[in-house]
Amino acid sequence: MDFEPKILGIACNWCTYTGADLAGTTRLKYPQNIRVVRVMCSSRINPSFIFRAFQLGADGVLVGGCHPGDCHYGTGNMYARRRLAITKKMLEFAGIEPGRFRVEWISASEGNRFAEVVGEFTGQVKGLGPQTKLKIKTD
Amino acid sequence: MTAFKDIEERLKEKAKDLLEKGEVECVFAYGRGYDERHPRPYVAKTKEDAENLVFNEYCTFNLARYAVKEPRKKIAVAAKGADSRALVQLIQEGKLKRENLVILGIPAAGMVDAKSGLTLDEKTTGAFANPVVYDVLLGDKLPEAKNSPYEVLGELEGLSGDGRWEFWRKEFARCLRCFACRKACPMCYCDPCFMDQSRPRWADKSPTLDGNTMYHLTRFYHLAGRCVDCGECTRACPVDIPLYLFHKRLAKDCEEMFNQAAGMKLEDKPVLVDFRVEDGDEILL
Repeated sequence: MDFEPKILGIACNWCTYTGADLAGTTRLKYPQNIRVVRVMCSSRINPSFIFRAFQLGADGVLVGGCHPGDCHYGTGNMYARRRLAITKKMLEFAGIEPGRFRVEWISASEGNRFAEVVGEFTGQVKGLGPQTKLKIKTD
Repeated sequence: MTAFKDIEERLKEKAKDLLEKGEVECVFAYGRGYDERHPRPYVAKTKEDAENLVFNEYCTFNLARYAVKEPRKKIAVAAKGADSRALVQLIQEGKLKRENLVILGIPAAGMVDAKSGLTLDEKTTGAFANPVVYDVLLGDKLPEAKNSPYEVLGELEGLSGDGRWEFWRKEFARCLRCFACRKACPMCYCDPCFMDQSRPRWADKSPTLDGNTMYHLTRFYHLAGRCVDCGECTRACPVDIPLYLFHKRLAKDCEEMFNQAAGMKLEDKPVLVDFRVEDGDEILL
């Protein structure tokens, strides 16, 4: 059987989540591998969420927020950008494939973009194979 | 370079002076341990106490650690290069007030790790020999380090991703979860620490590889852009996990991406509680 990756999507309420909603209401097809969690702002994301997701079996993590400058709260995603940039560098230095983690700015009107990114990212993670390094071994 | 003995004399003199005049309530410095190689942190509260102060090449402790939770108002702290950066970082974070501190700057080169016997320089930790901020300098200024503090990373950066994971996995697996790194670190002042929380429980309480990985990765992240490269975590570690390598790498990334090193200027803001519109999305790639 083909490997179907488990992808955690963390989406900001005002842009990416609404964008995902739009993708749904316009009947766009995108892979079912993503499980979306809604947060109020991308700056709500504690990088430990990402490490924890990998530990609990995620093969990839996709974070979505408003375009910089369009944050509902003014500057939230500017802080998030710095934090997530560091998180990415950390994963890389720890030896986790950085391709398993991606940050995208998707606005509420970009339903197509959401579907496109999810498709692309799922393909990428599929290529990398199952994530076994951080995953907690239960046996 | 001023001899350690001279620094010790000046330290005693200055401490005595400050305590006598009542300018400070106590002086954080170094005192005699059970032998020459093992001095210990010492708090001088009276001018008689000041006689007990020592300073030698084994005085590696970062005294900013003790200053951060000190309830007394006016204190003097003996600070080497990295220690003064830690103080600056704590001032930036609002944990200390500059006006309540008397920083006794010590330009120190050739400090020695008592456990390994290795000399500390830019290849390991504490590349900054001269204190960045001080009220009194207890020795002559030293020439700045020749090599980049990040050179030591070359070997690890040269490995493949799998190689690096193998390296860190082996190191994390040895961790006993004694939290000595957390105790020694001047920046680890959270109460409660995320590891002590039970809701959410970020990691299991017993030292397993998975929990250790979570602990160390999150701690590395919490110190990103704040670590001043004093190396106390590594020296405190009973199983010698080279934690400083990861901290250094994150410090390097922060410097490259945000053009700011931790604890260098009083008026800076720590990089992760700050942003610039022109940061750009390239940093996320």
